[in-house]
Amino acid sequence: MRLSFAGFAWRNVWRRRLRTALTLGGIGMGIGAFVALVGFSRSFEHAWLEMYENAGTDLAVVQKTFLNTEVDQSAGAILRQIPQIAQAAPMVINMMAVTPEVNTLVYGWKADTFEFSALNILQGRKFQDGQQEVMLGELLAGSLNKKVGDTLDLQGSTFRVVGIFRSGSALEAGAIIMPLDQMQALSEMQGKVTAYHVRLKPAPAGVSPGEWRKEAEDAVAKGLPGLRAVPAAQRAANNQLVILAHAAAWGTSLIALLVAALGIANTMAMSVFERTKEIGVLRAMGWSRERVMLLILMEAAALGVAGGAVGVALGWGALQALGALPQTASIASTTLPVRTLVDGLLMAILVGVLAGSVPAWRGAQLSPVEALRHE
Amino acid sequence: MSRTGRTDSENAGGLAGAESASSPGTMNATSPWILEVRDVAKGDFLAITGASGSGKSTLLHLLGGLDEPTEGTVLFRGECLGGTQRGAACITLDTYRARFAGFIFQSFHLLPSLNAMENVQVPMLGAGAHAHNREEKARALLVELGLEHRLGQYPTQLSAGERQRVAIARALINRPAVLLADEPTGAVDTAAGEDIGALLQELNAAGQTLIVVTHNPELAARYTRRVIAIADGHVASDTGALL
Repeated sequence: MRLSFAGFAWRNVWRRRLRTALTLGGIGMGIGAFVALVGFSRSFEHAWLEMYENAGTDLAVVQKTFLNTEVDQSAGAILRQIPQIAQAAPMVINMMAVTPEVNTLVYGWKADTFEFSALNILQGRKFQDGQQEVMLGELLAGSLNKKVGDTLDLQGSTFRVVGIFRSGSALEAGAIIMPLDQMQALSEMQGKVTAYHVRLKPAPAGVSPGEWRKEAEDAVAKGLPGLRAVPAAQRAANNQLVILAHAAAWGTSLIALLVAALGIANTMAMSVFERTKEIGVLRAMGWSRERVMLLILMEAAALGVAGGAVGVALGWGALQALGALPQTASIASTTLPVRTLVDGLLMAILVGVLAGSVPAWRGAQLSPVEALRHE
Repeated sequence: MSRTGRTDSENAGGLAGAESASSPGTMNATSPWILEVRDVAKGDFLAITGASGSGKSTLLHLLGGLDEPTEGTVLFRGECLGGTQRGAACITLDTYRARFAGFIFQSFHLLPSLNAMENVQVPMLGAGAHAHNREEKARALLVELGLEHRLGQYPTQLSAGERQRVAIARALINRPAVLLADEPTGAVDTAAGEDIGALLQELNAAGQTLIVVTHNPELAARYTRRVIAIADGHVASDTGALL
């Protein structure tokens, strides 16, 4: 029967069980949205990084401008003359509908690209350049129920499935890969590519990998004005799709968190009002204003912690649902980064404390006599 | 009601009511709401009586550091309470309430979400006392007040008399120099009221200074050592210290 400060705070919160449960539901929805959306956008970014790392891509050569993402295919010849560069693989990426419900990433590669080294072909073979052939990631093949020899309609053209592959990156496991020329025709990008993926030669003795990569970047900037060479990790974090995913995730989450904060503020304001007399008793017992304020803030933080736990569970569930839905399975990873869990909980506590600060301050300002007279 | 006060006690545990200008125990004829009480001695058991609205609760609030006088000064052991006096820092009201004053209310004001043991620990929790120490002291006090079988009971599970005993234990937990009670028998039946009166008398006999505001003339006459009658904000009569 030992009374702790935190226990006292939690007893106060739990006295109004229905109101507290509803508030926790509100916080849980906000934090759940944060965990699911930001977790999704981060796992999306992580999948990009995995894709580059697995393929051994060191640099991506792209347009300097954000909106114009097309690179002239003639850049390939210049890139291959740069002494630091071992291989430069052109690629096109786009998102296409394979059924009315399912959109998936589609890559256009050359048949001889080094990027195949990251794939494990489970059935069939690689496609051949110039042929209407596609390879499917095993996740997509499963959801579409396709096997080698089947056909697939894309943008009004029919392709033959020649291979099923496995990849360590979620972006490829649920994707289609086809010959670059076929992809350019489908996307009306003849002579253009989205980017060149570059593998560097090993750095010579006495030159660090970082210096070697920087030399390559400078050489690209000099030889191809208008283009830039971006390290793979930076490209994973800063490509247009990831930037848009992050922006949408944070924007939506912040709105949800704001609603959650208003819920906590309302609950705490009501709680302080209802307990005015009790606060007067605490003050009469010698509790300082600061101690009363700390108690109310701790109650708000307790709501935040409990709501955060609910939110993390909801967010994890939502991410699993995104990973299971055919519409999103090809681009969603169900892995929830630990950083997102920690961020979600910290965000919940921060929202709780901020939302509880005004009611706490008002509660602490009550004069003992006035508070004791409150009915 | 304007509140003017000066507690003025040079006695070790004492404090007093209010004084504006004149000698102790007299009324200030020019200001009808000035309260004058002086020298509550250590070990005293003072009853303040009077009709509703007479100012006795206000006086108790001033003496307990719950409120500050609009004029004048409240002194405790020669030191002012709250604010400053002639540039000298006074004892803050928070410190005074936490370390020197204990309160008992007519309607107990126990916290409904806490059981008896936990309610008694609340003042020590406010002072940041060690958890083990809090628990030990709370248990000892409740046992001393005959509530050893009610430690885990919540206020709604206790009788009115038991609730008031828990409230008394809570008021005593920080070993206050003075215990202040506002109508301590006002919300209990006659039998429980006599128990409470006897308990307060026992505490006083053990050296506890008490100031009680009461409508109950029997409580005032039977258990206390000194009775001050308040009328219209003034001391109408004072039987003097240590009857």
